[in-house]
Amino acid sequence: MIWEVAKREITIRSRTKSYRIITAFILLLAIAGPIAVKLWPGSDDARELAIGVVQDENFSADFEATAPLVFGNDYDLDIVPVEQSEVDELLAQDAFEVAVEPGPTLVWKSSAEPEVGLLIGASLQQSALVGRAGEQGMTPTELGELLAPIDLGERFVEDQGETSDIVITMAFIGLLMAFAMPQVFGQLAMMSVIEEKASRVIEVLLSHIRPRTLLAGKVVGISLLSVAQMVLVCGGMLASLLLTTDVDIPNSAYLFLPVLVICLLLGLVLYITLFSLVGSLISRQEDAAQVMMPVFLPIMGGYFVGTNAAFGNASSLLARILTYVPFTAPMLLPVRVARDAVSTPMMLVSLAGMALTVVLLIRLAGRAYEFTLLRTGSRIGWGELVQLLRSS
Amino acid sequence: MADRLVVEQLHKRFDDIVAVDGVDLRIEPGEILGFLGPNGAGKSTTMRSILGLVAYDSGSITLDGEPIGPTSRRSIGYMPQERGLYMRMKVHEHIAYIGRLAGLDSATANDRANRWVERVGLVERRDDLIQELSTGNQQRVQLAVSLVHEPSLLVLDEPFAGLDPVAVATLSDVMVEQMESGVSVIFSSHQLELVQDLTDRVTIIAAGRTRVTGTVTDLRNSSPDRNLEIVWQGEAPHWQPPDIAPLPDSPAGVSRFVVPSATNSADLIASASQAGSIASIRYEPPSLDQVFLEVVGQ
Repeated sequence: MIWEVAKREITIRSRTKSYRIITAFILLLAIAGPIAVKLWPGSDDARELAIGVVQDENFSADFEATAPLVFGNDYDLDIVPVEQSEVDELLAQDAFEVAVEPGPTLVWKSSAEPEVGLLIGASLQQSALVGRAGEQGMTPTELGELLAPIDLGERFVEDQGETSDIVITMAFIGLLMAFAMPQVFGQLAMMSVIEEKASRVIEVLLSHIRPRTLLAGKVVGISLLSVAQMVLVCGGMLASLLLTTDVDIPNSAYLFLPVLVICLLLGLVLYITLFSLVGSLISRQEDAAQVMMPVFLPIMGGYFVGTNAAFGNASSLLARILTYVPFTAPMLLPVRVARDAVSTPMMLVSLAGMALTVVLLIRLAGRAYEFTLLRTGSRIGWGELVQLLRSS
Repeated sequence: MADRLVVEQLHKRFDDIVAVDGVDLRIEPGEILGFLGPNGAGKSTTMRSILGLVAYDSGSITLDGEPIGPTSRRSIGYMPQERGLYMRMKVHEHIAYIGRLAGLDSATANDRANRWVERVGLVERRDDLIQELSTGNQQRVQLAVSLVHEPSLLVLDEPFAGLDPVAVATLSDVMVEQMESGVSVIFSSHQLELVQDLTDRVTIIAAGRTRVTGTVTDLRNSSPDRNLEIVWQGEAPHWQPPDIAPLPDSPAGVSRFVVPSATNSADLIASASQAGSIASIRYEPPSLDQVFLEVVGQ
């Protein structure tokens, strides 16, 4: 029966224009985002740099050969041969950004770029070395062996962790999803309950199935619907990223992904259950804003503290506390794990707390549902609900 | 024949309001029972108690001799007073869905839904959304929903409210078909002429209590009153039974009276025929409407 209710939720909700439009819109953003970044003028990593070089037998030919090697892939060099008399005028006209005169001397238009200056200096140094080595009877191969870079290793006294920008980015995207999706799909569940109460279809349903079965089916169905949207959007974004950029995904990202997914799923189920319960307290959509407020507060709090933990202090007292509060943990835990601010045992404690809360909440909401679903008219207060549960 | 449903001394209170204060009713297999009462008498609460939608305070409800419970309730079909439908589901889809919730497998639920779509005359609207249907057609869907799992007891709360004559005829036909196939049907209605036409027996409740129960004929005959209507040839003479005034709304040439059932009708007719020339005369028990008003004290 749970699956029957879940199937209906999936079928009916996915059929609505609003769900389709929102999903298509988010998917479009997810796919188009990396493509747009790739196509955006100037977004290419290689910087175009024009260098005017006054023709001189002492260095210009060697400079043209060594500069691309020294500047590497970060620069797309355009070596422009110029006459000495043209340098100032062409610089003023922005024909190139810097010129190299015999001397050698760098000529700038008005201000110098230290990094470019250093790289040109290194290129000239290389050119000079090649020239000098030739004068000493050394072949370029011998010079290459002489100047071969050493293999410089690294070691750390303390464990540096494996935190990477990609993992933190994943955590932040997860934070945004943990913030937005429970609200969107939780409210969908709540509206579904209110609709059933208002139309009295609830009476027909409950003459066949138990309230907790209805609740479980609703939570399963809407959770699956949200997971489908999540998979679609994340899959689209990942495919678009892989096709447009050279992303090197570190092992730590694969280890982090299960934590993120579990937190997102537990958060979704927790809030969809909570929103469904809240929806059963009222009979009219007009009353929804009042009863939703207590549910929004932990979501908002978790989001703001989570954002600070992602980009600021991941070990603040508030962030540490909220990591173990089941209603904010879906937002805080992934971010702090990504920042390497939570030990593995404490991460398991937080996950267990969330899972236990979800189980207890579903049981509690199932019991509350039996009292609240058939009550119409005025809103049922939280105090009254507690009394009903106690008296049962 | 063993009773299908027996409700005994049902009581239910909502805070300070006594909704049901001792309702008794019973219904046999293959019977249609009219469940009557003024607004607020406790009909819907009693029906919802049968369905398990209301937890009653005391009393007992048995179905086929066993205390009613979640499993046995699956053999009940229910049609609530207000349209209990998902407006954004399609007609066939909705009927089949409720069939599956009632325990049918998918194939059977689909077959039954097809059959009921045809039976209630909605073949052409099979794949329309419920919200696109008229009130009458929505009520047809509601009827199909209550019957898709082939219940042994059908509970219909105000099923004729807001229906046009065609829909009333369809619903009445289906109820009679169900009765003939052995299904027990209990329904509430304020359209007492329909009740009189459809039911074997009626139970009338008021202020949460069962006041009378019995066949329509028995209830009418047991009334202490009789209706007397005399159509005169020409103008009505100044005649009236001893100590009984004519009813004020009698049309010209017609005299209407409510007389005690103990009155000797032959004496009355003889007396009237001496007063004037009689075209026709009717002497009969009160209608169900009159019995109803009499019982509920209005």
